[in-house]
Order: sequence, then structure tokens, then C-alpha cells
Amino acid sequence: MTNRSRREFVRNALCATASSALFPAMLGKLSLAQAAITPGTSVLQGTGYRALVCLYLYGGNDAFNMMVPRDAAHYATYAATRSALALPAAGLLPITPTVAPADGAQYGLHPRMGALRDVFESGKAAIVANVGPLLYPITRAQFEAGSVPTPAQLYSHSDQQLFWQTPRADTSERTGWGGKLADLFFASNANPILSMNISLDGENVYQAGVQVSPYFMNAGGAETIWPIEGEWAARRRAAFDALYARNYAHPFERAVVQKMGRTRAVSAQLEDALAAVPADTAPFNRFDQAWAALSPAREVPWFARQLQMVARLLAVRGTLEMSRQIFFVGMGGFDTHATQLVDHGELMEDLALALKTFHQVTTDLAIADRVTTFTASEFGRSLTRNEDGTDHGWGSHHLVVGGSVNGRRIYGRPPSLLADNNPDDTGYGQVIPTTSVEQYAATIAKWYGLSDTDRATVFPNLSRFASADLGFMNPAPA
Amino acid sequence: MGKGRLAFAALALALAMPAGAADLLFKASFDESAEGPYNEYDAARFLTQATFGPTLGEIQRLQQIGYNAWLNEQVAMAPTLHTPYLDFRDGLGEDVYQQVRQEAWFMRAVTAPDQLRQRVAFALSEVLVVSDQNSAVDDAFALANYYDLLLQRGLGNYRQLLREVTLHAVMGNYLSMRGNQKENVTENIRPDENYAREIMQLFSIGLVMLDANGQPVLSGGQPVPTYTQATIRGFARVFTGWNWSGCTANEYEWCYPDDTHQVWWRQPMVPFAAFHETGSKQLLNYTGVSLAGGLLPANTGANAATADLDAALDNIFNHPNVGPFVAKRLIERLVSSNPSPAYVGRVAAKFANNGSGVRGDLAAVVRQVLMDPEARKRASAPANAGKLREPLLRITQLWRGMDARSGDNRYREGWPDYYGGQAALRAPTVFNFFLPSYSLPGEIAAAGLVSPEFQIATDTFITRMSNEIAGKVYWFWRGNPELSAEDVTVDLARDMSLANTPSKLLDRYDLLFMAGAMSAPMRQILLDDLNQIDLSGGDDARRERIQDALWLMLNSPEYVVEK
Repeated sequence: MTNRSRREFVRNALCATASSALFPAMLGKLSLAQAAITPGTSVLQGTGYRALVCLYLYGGNDAFNMMVPRDAAHYATYAATRSALALPAAGLLPITPTVAPADGAQYGLHPRMGALRDVFESGKAAIVANVGPLLYPITRAQFEAGSVPTPAQLYSHSDQQLFWQTPRADTSERTGWGGKLADLFFASNANPILSMNISLDGENVYQAGVQVSPYFMNAGGAETIWPIEGEWAARRRAAFDALYARNYAHPFERAVVQKMGRTRAVSAQLEDALAAVPADTAPFNRFDQAWAALSPAREVPWFARQLQMVARLLAVRGTLEMSRQIFFVGMGGFDTHATQLVDHGELMEDLALALKTFHQVTTDLAIADRVTTFTASEFGRSLTRNEDGTDHGWGSHHLVVGGSVNGRRIYGRPPSLLADNNPDDTGYGQVIPTTSVEQYAATIAKWYGLSDTDRATVFPNLSRFASADLGFMNPAPA
Repeated sequence: MGKGRLAFAALALALAMPAGAADLLFKASFDESAEGPYNEYDAARFLTQATFGPTLGEIQRLQQIGYNAWLNEQVAMAPTLHTPYLDFRDGLGEDVYQQVRQEAWFMRAVTAPDQLRQRVAFALSEVLVVSDQNSAVDDAFALANYYDLLLQRGLGNYRQLLREVTLHAVMGNYLSMRGNQKENVTENIRPDENYAREIMQLFSIGLVMLDANGQPVLSGGQPVPTYTQATIRGFARVFTGWNWSGCTANEYEWCYPDDTHQVWWRQPMVPFAAFHETGSKQLLNYTGVSLAGGLLPANTGANAATADLDAALDNIFNHPNVGPFVAKRLIERLVSSNPSPAYVGRVAAKFANNGSGVRGDLAAVVRQVLMDPEARKRASAPANAGKLREPLLRITQLWRGMDARSGDNRYREGWPDYYGGQAALRAPTVFNFFLPSYSLPGEIAAAGLVSPEFQIATDTFITRMSNEIAGKVYWFWRGNPELSAEDVTVDLARDMSLANTPSKLLDRYDLLFMAGAMSAPMRQILLDDLNQIDLSGGDDARRERIQDALWLMLNSPEYVVEK
């Protein structure tokens, strides 16, 4: 365990026992940890609402086929390297950034991402090029010489998922930057029982804080205790309620009663609030309309249903008395080792449509500039192919969407796509990131309200990189 | 059960047993059972602490032979290992991943005869933590083999356990000791401190000096640290030069078992002299330490890596903290979150000396944990004694108490972490599922109590545990025509006749699940519910009475806090 995670462990223990007789023992741990504990200094009270939506693309998205160069010279390089997996130039959907990207290329989006192109061209989506977990900036020569440390277990799903979410490539700790933001900001929510972090896709490291643990619900609603739910359960519920209405002698029993009450209150509160914003009414039915327009045979994918639920929760943020929230949504299927051209095309289409639809709904709700959605994915794919698919890569392009995004731009430096003697390549078509996940995350966190003083607490390695703010976020509204 | 009936039952059982066993039984029944249990409730309570849950048969048997004979039998019993089951399934050509390891865990927890050993191994797995959440060790066979080590040594000597844990390939990879090498200034290599730190903080002595009762020693009002950064560096230098059993010096920095060398995962790491730090090492310094000043002298001998390792483990093992530290961890897992200092002290004393002059005898330590007056007599324990039941133990107790099995004798329960936040060797970090020091904010923290298991009692897991137990009671019952042979089912038929008389049904479940501690008001609430279920509904109604009784009880405050 690193000093850093140890410090958090100690801080957690300290918070948990600050008023107890164990306090002296904890002070002992503190001095041993040789660490100054930075108290949360940036807890905001009563400022305007802000939400983050982490859209996690499980499996490793092949973003080198999501954003493709379309000028003749760059396209020729792309086509030569990708060979059978190269998308035809004619089908690419041109995008027109207001500032030329760092490599001077002209780009197009995947032919099935028309929905995303609309958002990009409207200025509400940005592309951040070639992001990945890094310990330090690193060149190909340094990589080959082993002279600059790299994240452990590159190309491994589980490890790189961890590093994308923590987002630190030098730790096995299981807290994420969304969780750490929640530790700093949860007190700004008036609601005392609902967690600031809600996952629509179950367990994830991103939302786990030291003090804040995420609340899991699903695209259909809050999870409830079904043996005491509904008319048919009235008898049993009465007995259950009676058990939990008694006075107990043991402090642990009293704590169990209190926790059960809280758990039931949270789910009841969510269900009540969500009843006011049914999924089949406007604007939330935009999701059904969008996929119906695509083809009668296409159903709204599950991750888009998750986004629909996020939209409904955003709509009732006032009822729920939340001023800061972080949501987690998961989309699977990106581990395209085979039949990539077919499978990836559909993923791109669903992704683009979901992002556009969600952004439209937040616009309808007049909250678009207070909600930022960003993609994460453990790695990109190799530039080289294996028959009809790609292998695990490293760096990859990512999308940021929302009313506060300084969009219609490509940030960071897109890598060379050369097959041979590629200065951005590890040697096997796995592209060395030119922007670190910490820079990407810190830019979003700054918009969210993370102060410069707290920045190092959440992103301790950030100072190793040139810029702590990539510039793709405009200031948040007051 | 009266004495006459007890003797009769023992005789009847003895007649049906082989001669040797009968001798043992008679000896146990008539010579040694004076210590109890004196009634079925005491027996059930003991079995709740010492096993994965009481069964009607085991309650009866414990009453017949008494605590001591039961403990003697259990300690003598060979471990029921996990790896052979994974190998068996592998041999059938099946894919064996972590879910089969979890299946093996449930199968052993629910059915293995060596219950004490299984339960202690589980407790140790939450102290000497490794986890399939770390992809460096996510091989199911390897983790099963590590668990088997805990089964084989869990009632042996702690010194030997610590050595084998240290050298296990899984631990070597989990805390990055494998491949660790001596300092090399030109290449900017320094010994990895990971294992050095954790073996002291989490596996043996903790961060602050403890007195004989496990209370922090204060100096000027402040706790006294057990070690410094220099000590960590010293141990980091000790733990250099170890690698896979099949590695070679030339391959030291990159050897890794391919498909044909998976056996490396099951073999202890071996020393490589060229990569071992031979200089002196600062180890722990404490009153009575055998190395002068805690300093291990330089050793350039051929066997330096092994000699240093053993000297360092001796240095840790003989630290005065180890007894109270291990005592606390085991009491927390088996009996109570907040033992009195005196109870910790009595267990620590057994660690120091098992009565025959041996230090670190875990069988003696576990025996003291379980037979201590504070464990055995509720009246002897502090008012706040007890603990929140761990999610996995709630499931195993239900399944054992209700004779759960599947049509093909498998226990396909691969992802209990989904509903309970817990699965064997699946902790998020080396700090386990919950911290021993976790204290729920509010009344518990204000009272100065710790409540480790509350750390995973989040809104999500409270909901999912309630629903999971509901599924296992209302849906997965033997005879439900909707189910397949693969489903693990509880046996409700056994109790159908009792369901005609709710008070008798509650008597049985009070015994099996609450060791007779159900309060009168709670009993009345359950009776009121069960009596509303009209028996004109026949078997369906009787079954519903059983299901309600189980679900309400197993989700009640009085049950989930084990006292």
C-alpha cells in the first residue's frame, strides 16, 4: 500500500472514531503515517447544482475508429496501418473544430455517429485525444529503455479500469476520484440520507470515497426490500415494522434499526420523487423516440435506459434536496477482438445517440450547463489488427458532453497512426498516451468545484504533467 | 435434556459406533462433559461461534460429548481442502474460475465435518488477506491453494503459519515480495517495502505497543509506535531474493508461470542468493528482543536469504504484541467486537504459553477464545458484547440450519459479494472488507465501541441481503417445481408438522438461529404474523408460516446482532 492510500485509510479511521476512546490510538497511526491530514476545506454550501456523469465503456473502446483523419495524407497513413479494419473515407462524417487540432489533421467521426456530430458541431461536445493512465510523461525511447516508470499491468482490463477510475496508476487502492470529490462535497447536499454518488451500473471504483460509498440503483428505479413491498406483503410488513419499532437494549441493535430505517427511507424517497417524472413522458421519452426513429427493430439499450434514469433523477434534484451529484453509467461490449467492423459500428451508433439524447433532455430540463458527461474506458485498441478485430491498447480518445463544455474542439495531441517507426507507439500498435487520465479528470473536477488547494489531495501525481487544466470546460454557472 | 436422557442417548449412539469411537464418546460423555453445554441453547450458541452454523444433529451431538471432546475431535480432524475440488472440476474439462472457488468455499462451509478448522481459516483469511480483486493473483487454483494453507495451519503454530504465508506465491505476488531484490544504486532499485509494512501492521503486531491485555501502551499520554521507517527498510531488505519455485537467477526479473508451470503457484517461493541483500538489517527492537538492539548482522553465507527470513520472522513472532494482536483478531471474528481487556489478556496468555511452554499454539488460542467465560456465559460478558453477523455467515447459518443442498450436490454461489459485499478471498484491499477499528458514527462511536462489520452494512447491501435471504427462503425450497437440480434449496418439509403450531416452529428456529435468545416481544410479533396465516391453505399455508418465520427472524435486529 502506498503512503497516499495509507493516509486515507488513517483519515477514514480517524473520521470514524474522532469522538471515541480510540482517538489516541489513531493519533499514533497518524504520526506513523508521517502525514499531515488535510481537512476537507472546500465544502460548498448552497451554491448552484452540478452533476457529473461518468459513462464507462467496458472492454476498451477503439476510438481510433471513432475519430478518423480524413485529409488525404493522414487518411492514407490510417488506412495503411488499419488495413482491413479501416473505415472507408467516403463514409466519415466531417467535423469542423474551431481550432485546428495539434497534429493539423482534419477529422471525421465514425459513419454511424451522426448524432454526436450534431452535438460536436453545436459546440457542446469536445474530443480529448489520446488519453490514458500514465505515471509520468513518457516517450517511446524512454518506454523502450525502461527509464521512466509506466503503470503496472498495461493492457490488463482490471488494472487499467482501476487506474482510469482512481485515477492513479501507482496504486491498488479502491477509491476513485468521483468518490474523493464526494468526500469533499457531500456536505453541501441538504438531503442527509441519500448518497451523493449514485451508480446505475453497480459496483465501481470511480465512485467509492473514503467516507462516501455509492448508492446502487438500476435503470428501473431504486432497489427495495421486496418481501415488505406492496399490497400483498401487508401482513409481513406489519410484523417487520413492529420488529423495527421496538426499543432495543444493545447499541448495535439500535444501530441496525436506524440503518434499516434509513435504507427504507432512501428507496421510498427515490420512488416517490421519481413517480412525478415517469419515463414515458416528455422529455424522458426522447430515448424511446430516438431508437424508434433509428429502426423499429432497435430497442433502447440498457446503458441508455440508465442515462434516462439519470435524467429523471436530475429532474427531481430539488425534491431530493441535492446540489452536488455524481452518477455512474456503464456500457459494455467494447472488447472487440473479433468482428469489430460490425460490432463496433453498432456501439458507436448507440453511444452517439445516447449522448445526444441525454444532452437534449438536460437542455429540456434547463440544466444542460450544470451537467457534464464524460467517457472513460480502460484503454484504446491496438492500431494493428488481429484478423477482424483489435487487441488491447493504451491511449484512446474520449468524449466530454454538456452545456459547460468548450466544445467543437479536439484537445490534446492526436498520436501518429504510422504502422512503422511510429514515435507514439510502444512497438506493437499500442499507442502511448499523450495526455494523462489525471489531466483529463482534473479538468472536469475543477469545473465541478475542486479547489487548487485540494487538487493535490485528489490528483497527487498531476504536477508531473504540463497542464492541470486542458481547457475543455468553461466555468460552471453560479 | 436431563442427565439420564443424555447418558441414554450417548449409550445408544455408542452402540452404533466403532469401538474406538465409542471409547472416545464414553470418555467424553462421562468424564469430560462436566464443562457443558448444559442445555441445547448453550450448545447452539457455541456452535454459532465455532462453526458455520448449528444443525439439529450437531447440537445434539455436542450436548452428548461436551465442549472439550468436541474441540479435541475438531482439532484432530484432517482439513477438508478446497483445491482438490477445483482440480476435480478441472479434470472434468470444465472451466474453473473464481466462481468454482467460491463454490468450494460454500460446499466446505455448509457440509465439511472439520467445521472449527473451516471457520478459523475463514477468520484468518480476513487477517492474512489476499484477494482475487488484485489481478496479480486472480488465479482461482492459486487462491484456493492459499486458502488450503490457512486450513492446514490455522490450528497449528502461528510462527509456522506466518512463514508459509510469507513464502506462498499468492502472497508473494499480492504484496509484491516475489521478485523483490537488493538495493542497486546504479539502476535505482530499492527493496520493495510493501510486504515489510503489512506483515507488521496487519499480520502480527500493529502500529502501537500493546500491553498484555491488548490495550495501547501510552507514554506521556501518547501511544508508543511499534516500529519506524528504518524498521520497514530493514524488513524490506530481509524480504529480498525470493521468487517462483521454478525461476532461475538469469530469469529473475521476468520469470512467470506459463500454462505448463501452473504448479509454481502452489509451491513456496525459493531463495536466489544473488538478489538477496546481505548487509545488516534493522529489525524490531523491544524489551527482551534476542537480537541486540534488534539489529540483524550482515550475513554473506550461502543460505543468507533463508537464515535472514527465519531470523526476521522470529524477531516478529517474539514481539510482545503478537499475542494480544492475534487474540483480538480471532475474538472479533468468532465472538465479539468489543471484548473486555481481561478476555483479550487471557487469550493472549495462551498465545504466549499454551500450558506446555509453547508460544503461538493456535489450537490453544482458539480453544481459549471459545471456552473463555466471557464467550461462554452471557452473564460474564460486557453488556455490549457481540457483533454484527457477517453477511457470509448469515447465509451459511441459514443453509446449515435448513439442510440446504442442490440436486447435484453443488453449491453454485459464485458472487455473494453482489448481495453481501463479501466473498472468500475477495476483499477490496489488504485491509479486508472492513477495518477492525471501524466505529459506526453516532452512538457506537460515542460509546468508544468498534463495529467492524457495520462498515459494509450500506443501504445497498442491507437491501440486497434482505432480498437474498428472501429468495433463499421463499423461492429456493426443496420441492418447488419451478426449480432445477442445480439450485441450492432449503429443506422446509422437515418443519412442516411444526408449522401447525407456530410456537413450536419458533422454538426450533430460536434454537437454530438465535441460541434461545429471542425476546418475548419479538416472539409475540412473529406469532401474531404466523397465526394470521390460515391453515385452511394446507401445505402452502404451512410453508408460508415457515418462510415468514425464517425471513422475519433472519432479518430482525435481535438476530443480526449476534450476542
